[in-house]
Amino acid sequence: MNPYLAVVALLFLTGALFLLPLLPAMLELRRKADALPLSLIQHHAGEIRYFADSFRAYLQPLGPTLQECGASGRNASGVMPDGTNYLVLGSGSEAVVLPLQQQDGICPVLIASATDLSLSKDSCFSKDIYSSGRFIGGDNNHYRALLAEKEAYLGKTSSVMRWVHAGGELSADSGCKLAARVSSDSRIRLAPGCSFQRLNAPRIEFGQQAAENPTQPLSPVPEIPLSMKPQRVVHDGDFEIRCGAAFCGDLVVRGKLRVGSGARVYGSVKSQKDMVLGSGARVEGSLVSGGKLFIGASCLIHGPVIAEREVHVQTGTQCGHPETPTTVSALRIEAEEGVLVFGSLWAREHGKVVARA
Amino acid sequence: MIYVLYLIVAVICVYTVRHYGFTLNRLFGFQRHPYIDIDTADWPRVTVLVAAHNEEKVIASILAALMEAKYPAERMLVVPVNDRSTDNTRQIIDEFVELYPGRIRPFHRTQGKAGKAAALKDAMELVDTEVILIFDADYIPGAGIIKQLTAPFFDPEVGGVMGRVVPVNVGTNLLTRLLDLERAGGYQVDQQARMNLRLVPQHGGTVAGVRRSALREIGGWNDNTLTEDTDLTYRLLLCGWKTVYQNRSECYEEVPETWQVRVKQIMRWAKGHNQAMATYALPLLVGKHRATLRERLDGALLLGVYIMGPITLLGWIVALAVFYQGVAQLHGVLALLSITAYAAIGNLAAFFEIAAAVRLDSHRKRLNLLPFLILGFTVSIFSVSHAAISQLIDLARGAELRWDKTERFRKAAS
Repeated sequence: MNPYLAVVALLFLTGALFLLPLLPAMLELRRKADALPLSLIQHHAGEIRYFADSFRAYLQPLGPTLQECGASGRNASGVMPDGTNYLVLGSGSEAVVLPLQQQDGICPVLIASATDLSLSKDSCFSKDIYSSGRFIGGDNNHYRALLAEKEAYLGKTSSVMRWVHAGGELSADSGCKLAARVSSDSRIRLAPGCSFQRLNAPRIEFGQQAAENPTQPLSPVPEIPLSMKPQRVVHDGDFEIRCGAAFCGDLVVRGKLRVGSGARVYGSVKSQKDMVLGSGARVEGSLVSGGKLFIGASCLIHGPVIAEREVHVQTGTQCGHPETPTTVSALRIEAEEGVLVFGSLWAREHGKVVARA
Repeated sequence: MIYVLYLIVAVICVYTVRHYGFTLNRLFGFQRHPYIDIDTADWPRVTVLVAAHNEEKVIASILAALMEAKYPAERMLVVPVNDRSTDNTRQIIDEFVELYPGRIRPFHRTQGKAGKAAALKDAMELVDTEVILIFDADYIPGAGIIKQLTAPFFDPEVGGVMGRVVPVNVGTNLLTRLLDLERAGGYQVDQQARMNLRLVPQHGGTVAGVRRSALREIGGWNDNTLTEDTDLTYRLLLCGWKTVYQNRSECYEEVPETWQVRVKQIMRWAKGHNQAMATYALPLLVGKHRATLRERLDGALLLGVYIMGPITLLGWIVALAVFYQGVAQLHGVLALLSITAYAAIGNLAAFFEIAAAVRLDSHRKRLNLLPFLILGFTVSIFSVSHAAISQLIDLARGAELRWDKTERFRKAAS
């Protein structure tokens, strides 16, 4: 073989091998098939009511039909602009029987009720449901999403897949699985055995006997000159605030923390490991735990409650205040009946209402 | 000379392991987002500082975006820090002040030391809130980001917060596409992995926040540095404050569209970072403070990222020299093995990280651009090496560090 040809061939092959991985790169650069910026949510802040509000907007074309059916008491059916079949009910109770019978217990149509809506038990609703008034769901029903402008009741062992919102009180009977966003403009009440992920309402009660802590918010700390005020105490290792003691300032513990029964903290506390609050403890600021957080009975916490693993809250404890709602957030949350939260609960993996110990 | 090469390869291998560790953690490890779910709270008053030096092209966009933020209006004060602008920045800011009475309090700075840190330092006279958020003027914050960046401050251990930066002008040219990939790797994988592993997420000085009492404790803004963000990260760490990263607090930014501007930007970052390395590496590693061992090690490695450019270059030169010098047989086999092993996996570490980030962002076709990153990395290596050498020369001459503003490319809002 001609040595010059061999050199040229070698150079050509080397160049080709070098350029080979650049070929798809050059094609992408030229075509710009994937050249848009990462899509960010710019216009809303991930509000829990976002889906409910969007659903309301989606139903707007049905407004006149809803009014007409509400006035006449008749039903109407049709197809939404996106192809979804709908059924508008003038009177709430008997109209859904027909599609249920046709589809082996699965209701494949969007239901919008002009009045109060009451659904029978053991049914599965694969499309969203809207009620202009109250909503009463039978036991063991399964919903995709649900919006009630007034009160909503979910029967025993019902489940909601995506979201549920009620303008009035929202109550779920025992064993309900709310694997979704659950919100109310007034109150949420969950019976023992219910599981949840994300709850938001001005008032969230677990069980039937949750009562507001009769004690008033902590009185403000007497004014102390800034130079004397303990701004933040950092402690390496485990730490304990003794029963009935008062701690003024923020506390960071790089181990486990125990706040004794009846102790008061005028500030926020953080433990990098597990934290235990004894019964009747009160914290003016936030509670943050890098591990598990156990909150004893009848505690009062004003700020956010954050645990990187689990939170267990015992009966009689109150988080937040009607004027200053707050968030309880953890991977797993277990709240006993009798717990009261003003604001939000976020159980990223699993939340559960348990009977009083 | 072979031992110098071994040393360099060893250092590079440490960074390689770090890259792989971060990527694997991000792909398969436990992801920490402890504060992102706080959506209801008694939100504290916040001050949002917007650093602006000749920003007439972009200042209106960020002010408009901030006015749309979902945060109690009476608890949020926007302070545009107009730093000696000679264009229409002042007029645009003043128009917004009139449009939103009581919500924007401008800080017009007409003289003083150049640089963002110096401007922020002066603007602190207008700040009376415990939570301070900082944005550069070319950023476009979303409606929820103020709450997201404020939420971590409910944790009394948190002194600083950093959000994720996302390029908005991705499709402009090859450079912006490469910078998009680099940013994805840097934030989606690198920063989040450091958050997951409780290491040292870096404060970026924009899409970020700082607690005023922490800032006061560490002595305020340092205006003798080119990268006040890196400086802040280490001073907070040495004083027992944590900086946390919020990967879901994303904000659009404009990345450089010309190589000239990019080189200038990365040289400034390199000089500032190296300055921080010289100041904090030793105290961090051996000083008496509350940082954990893992924070000390990761912090030191983070300080060294820009010095790796000249070290890599030196490695190439030494490798060539060793080759032409001829090495003993034993060394030859070892060198061959180590270089082969490194070439097989080491060089791909950063690429692996970026590929994972692109995958996590659910993008697909932009992965095809990965081979072009060699170009970006080469430019970066030479730029940061040039920065390091010129920094040494400046140091010998006693010359002051000079702060260069990054040029904007967006067309001015009409």
